[in-house]
Amino acid sequence: MKLLKTLILSGLLLSAPASADVLADKNCGSCHRLKPEEIEKSFTGPDLHYSGNKFQPEWLKQYLINPEVIRPAGFVTDPGFLPKTDLPPHASSSIEDANALTKELMTLKISTPAPVNPEPLSKGLRAKIKYQFERTFGCISCHQSLNLAGKVRGGISGPSLVNAGNRLQAAWVADLLKTPETYIAKSRMPSYKMEPATLEQFTRFLMTLKKENIK
Amino acid sequence: MLINRKFLLTGIALLIILVTACGQSEQSTSIAKPPTQQEVGEVREVNRQTLQPKIVTVTEETRQTYKWYCSQCHGVKGKGDGINAKFLTVPPRNHTKAAYLETRTNEQLFEAIKFGGLSVGRAPCMPAWGHTLAEDTIHSLVRYIRELCHCEAF
Ligand code: HEC
Ligand code: HEC
Ligand code: HEC
Repeated sequence: MKLLKTLILSGLLLSAPASADVLADKNCGSCHRLKPEEIEKSFTGPDLHYSGNKFQPEWLKQYLINPEVIRPAGFVTDPGFLPKTDLPPHASSSIEDANALTKELMTLKISTPAPVNPEPLSKGLRAKIKYQFERTFGCISCHQSLNLAGKVRGGISGPSLVNAGNRLQAAWVADLLKTPETYIAKSRMPSYKMEPATLEQFTRFLMTLKKENIK
Repeated sequence: MLINRKFLLTGIALLIILVTACGQSEQSTSIAKPPTQQEVGEVREVNRQTLQPKIVTVTEETRQTYKWYCSQCHGVKGKGDGINAKFLTVPPRNHTKAAYLETRTNEQLFEAIKFGGLSVGRAPCMPAWGHTLAEDTIHSLVRYIRELCHCEAF
């Protein structure tokens, strides 16, 4: 009897098209946009229809198992940017589900951004871009990052960039800074017409931000 | 002589700004005072063309634009209490306060919005919107701020 059950169960598992519908099964689409066609609809969570462009798979898997707060004020949809209160923590998944979900999410792509030089920025350039991040462009007014003492600081209307180096793909960051409209229909972030060299340095600077550097 | 004084004052203003980054620093919670108008010399050359007073009106679109972008820091009603406000070393300007806004010309407000706070000797926490918003939109935002403060420049 038990054997039969196991056989049926494993048969089901095998016959189910491995992970193809895991996103639908888990109802992720009730809060997240999973297809570019759904552009008219509004959602209560951030867009995932370009997850394969945006996220690093290892981070994605860990996030699904053990979610962290990325937007300290919640995913704000209110036009006057009223923050959400009583944010419920994001649902977490089992390791198995997280693997399947990650695999599926990483297939969702809408662009093929050009790769970015993966070399870490030199110390000098890091200091230069950090200065521009905080002053010339004022990014820190809306985004959390790390200061020299390794403390989190900055505004909260944009997603936290404290862990950007583990979370985001460099090529996506560069493409977002260059042509935000590819990914976000109407961004609340100012457009910056950066010189290509500055844009690359900004991207590589963001890639140095990692939560293990928090002190 | 006048030139020298201008230089000196610009230097002072720059110094004040230099020690003021935008994210709240944990070692000092005291809020740096923005330099007053007298402390600030000419900081940048501007294309006078774009500063011509324009007749623009405040439309529903103006209000929506303010809500969408500016309220992040300045608050929905312009009181300087947006969600980023308490994380900035220099507080977002309260756009309902006539006492200060009367001392600023429409051109200065226009420049602050288009080129950012630094361009008018104000804090870099106020980003530049010149690549995001059309000039007419910026002119209408200046009008809207005049509505919020119920004031005009002296
Ligand atoms: C009740 C609505 C809701 C459901 C259901 C939901 N999410 Fe989310 N999700 C959110 C919100 C809100 C955030 C933003 C959290 C933050 O920024 O801190 C989020 C964030 C995320 C992120 C990070 C995205 C980013 O850009 O930062 C991923 C990845 C994600 N969710 C995946 C999933 C997956 C996979 C499922 C299905 C198993 C799912 N979510 C189900 C609401 C939801
Ligand atoms: C006025 C506030 C504001 C400023 C200033 C700002 N941003 Fe943003 N940024 C946002 C918001 C809000 C988002 C979320 C998406 C959206 O609405 O555009 C965002 C999204 C991002 C993202 C994508 C993060 C993610 O997880 O989806 C990156 C990367 C980014 N910004 C980098 C920067 C850099 C670099 C600068 C300075 C050159 C900067 N931002 C300045 C508000 C801002
Ligand atoms: C990232 C936060 C932020 C956003 C978004 C923002 N501001 Fe500001 N703004 C500030 C800060 C901070 C100051 C105060 C600067 C100072 O006093 O040194 C300021 C000051 C100003 C001033 C006064 C400049 C002066 O002469 O003292 C005006 C006008 C202004 N902002 C307009 C706007 C408009 C219009 C928008 C939307 C398009 C906007 N701001 C969006 C942070 C912001």
